[in-house]
Amino acid sequence: MNTSTAPAILLVGHPNVGKSVLFHRLTGAYVNVSNYPGTTVEVTQAPARFDASATLLDTPGVLALPSRSDDERATMRALLNETSRCLVQVGDAKNLRRTLTLTALLAELGVPMVLALNMHDEAMARGVTVDIPALAEELAIPVLATVATGGEGMGELTSSIARAAVPDPLLHYDPLLEEEITLLAAAIATHAPHPSLAARGLAILFLGNDTEVDSWLRQHAGPAYAQLDALRRAASQRAEEDLPGLLARQRTEAADALATSVSQRAVRSSPLLAQRIGQAVVHPLWGIPILLGVLYAVYLFVGVFGATTLVGLLEEDLFDGILNPAVTDFVTTQIGNNGLSDLLVGQYGLWTMGMTYALALILPIVSTFFIAFGILEDSGYMPRLSVIANRIFARMGLNGRAVLPMVLGLGCVTMATLTTRILHSPRERLITIFLLALAIPCSAQLGVVLGMLGGVSFSALLVWALAMVGVLFLSGFLAARLVPGRRIPLVTELPPMRLPIAGNVLKKTTGRLKWYLIEVIPLFLIGTFLMYLLDRLGILPAIIEAGEPLVSGWLGLPKEASAAFVMGFLRRDFGATGLFMLADALSPVQAIVGMITITLFVPCFASLLMMIKERGLKTGLAMLAIIVPFAFLVGGLCNLVLTALW
Amino acid sequence: MSPHHDARLPLAFIPPGEEVRLAGLGDEIDALQREQLTAYGLAENRPLRVLQQKPMTVILAEEVELALEHSVARHIWVVR
Ligand SMILES: Nc1nc2c(ncn2[C@@H]2O[C@H](COP(=O)(O)OP(=O)(O)OP(=O)(O)O)[C@@H](O)[C@H]2O)c(=O)[nH]1
Repeated sequence: MNTSTAPAILLVGHPNVGKSVLFHRLTGAYVNVSNYPGTTVEVTQAPARFDASATLLDTPGVLALPSRSDDERATMRALLNETSRCLVQVGDAKNLRRTLTLTALLAELGVPMVLALNMHDEAMARGVTVDIPALAEELAIPVLATVATGGEGMGELTSSIARAAVPDPLLHYDPLLEEEITLLAAAIATHAPHPSLAARGLAILFLGNDTEVDSWLRQHAGPAYAQLDALRRAASQRAEEDLPGLLARQRTEAADALATSVSQRAVRSSPLLAQRIGQAVVHPLWGIPILLGVLYAVYLFVGVFGATTLVGLLEEDLFDGILNPAVTDFVTTQIGNNGLSDLLVGQYGLWTMGMTYALALILPIVSTFFIAFGILEDSGYMPRLSVIANRIFARMGLNGRAVLPMVLGLGCVTMATLTTRILHSPRERLITIFLLALAIPCSAQLGVVLGMLGGVSFSALLVWALAMVGVLFLSGFLAARLVPGRRIPLVTELPPMRLPIAGNVLKKTTGRLKWYLIEVIPLFLIGTFLMYLLDRLGILPAIIEAGEPLVSGWLGLPKEASAAFVMGFLRRDFGATGLFMLADALSPVQAIVGMITITLFVPCFASLLMMIKERGLKTGLAMLAIIVPFAFLVGGLCNLVLTALW
Repeated sequence: MSPHHDARLPLAFIPPGEEVRLAGLGDEIDALQREQLTAYGLAENRPLRVLQQKPMTVILAEEVELALEHSVARHIWVVR
């Protein structure tokens, strides 16, 4: 939280309205921008450009307050724990009703406010006009139109922040409700006054069952909390219906009335091109060919351009052809042929194995993948993909929302595991993380699989792919039945399709790559070093010996493949590359079985750590305990079936 | 007024292209999801435009495009 004494300026608003872009404009600090609701999962802060003494906070998008989701709770915590100088509500100019419904609550907090109606360009294109002076007068705060992506209205925004004012309340609730609110507010003011938020606002949130406000009051009111709680219980008994719902409805009605009086919508004869594309993409008929087209384009860019052309250039021409001989030469002439030179440029050398794989093989593949993913994300295609994929995911106890982490997993499972936070229930997160760990190959691994099995034959690749899809569906199907809890039906917003902004995609790609490199290179080097140690100390041969019954007997692989499985624990793709080195010695069936087992085998070390971080040690280890035997089971079964059939 | 004029129909049964008003959310929808739907803009009396029904119900509420599973759209009541 904010430890400095400088009061903060908080950006608050619905998901996907452009808070992160505005934040970037106002601070110069980059945060993850995407055309996908819910991508800001944590509060980010940075000093403001226009006023060095002010700190700006970007909060996760809130659909509504009182808080219900993790994102909303994070935002509520920021409101409760920061000394806020000013709230900047970022709203969507084309969705004024919804924006004002949130304003109706924020206005009660007694903090100076500014309302920025962003996406003014899209509102105009859709014929929505807002009488800004009238709205500003009604709310008694500065209101302005902005286009965050084009930088329009930024000057006015900074000057508005200086003029921020405590808003007039947008509504009076029913007289009876007002009475309860006043009573509770008085009690809060006496027993737990908040340094910056108004007691009335807290009372409304508390009556609306906001868990964050609840625990804040519990902490600060001491024994008087019982009194507050009694007031709330009395109020909800008197209300004939669900009290939070009742309060929310009255805010919605007030917001509707205000929105109607200050905005107008021209009747449009035909939908915009962006809307037409958006609809075609989820069309029951056109949606599928479009999806296949998109997948093919991604394959061409990542699979062909990234994994073949770029890897070829880097690995064969640059590293194997020029760099590695030069480095090896240099090292051996400098320090001679000994253990140290082996560590650097030997078979398991930090440079010849670790750095070469990290930079020449993995980097081009993930870079192209992240670019493709960024473009899809920014275009608004991802949420629509979740509509198309929903039915399939329903079979796995999930809903279409899981498509984002699953697709990202094809890039990097570790990063995807982190992204499961956008899912709404712990059950969905658990199932998704499990499936990611088990059956989703990351791009680095995919590159190796494509290279190895592609070299064998197309049908080998097909068998591998079918096995993966089969395992994915089967384990998803089982998980859906075994993990307790109910499936949540998909209800999702489909943000407008937008032309991706190159700068945005690049910034996002660089951000992801940076994260990836910081995470991957050290692990590659540690992994290589461990391999070197195992080899040096003669443990590797022992492991190869010990693994022989399983690896040779059950999987039918040469016993050296054991080494690949050990490597596989450090990184899955590392293991796959380990098998890749044996490629010439493998039969087609061995290649397929090896790749299937390695793909299913333990996720890389980094993703295991991430799993544990996200779901706890017990769950993480339990998944590991399921996945490892399962990988060998499936691998062995494939071996039996394939040797019988091939 | 013809009797069918204010007859309530489930949102899932409205053919694409029609504009309707929200009449209410059925009791089958739990409190939490009800709040969520309201927050998305599904409040009583608001106009909605049905864009498609397959593979999911897609509607336009104000300028928000929303996709809902049929299991939810079945319990959302609208009038024509
Ligand atoms: N046309 C248009 N697009 C915008 C504008 N502002 C932001 N966007 C786009 O809207 C999308 C969402 O922007 P973000 O800044 O990620 O939104 P956010 O409010 O931080 O979203 P969450 O992190 O989900 O809460 C991105 O694709 C932006 O490029 C604008 O004024 N006009």
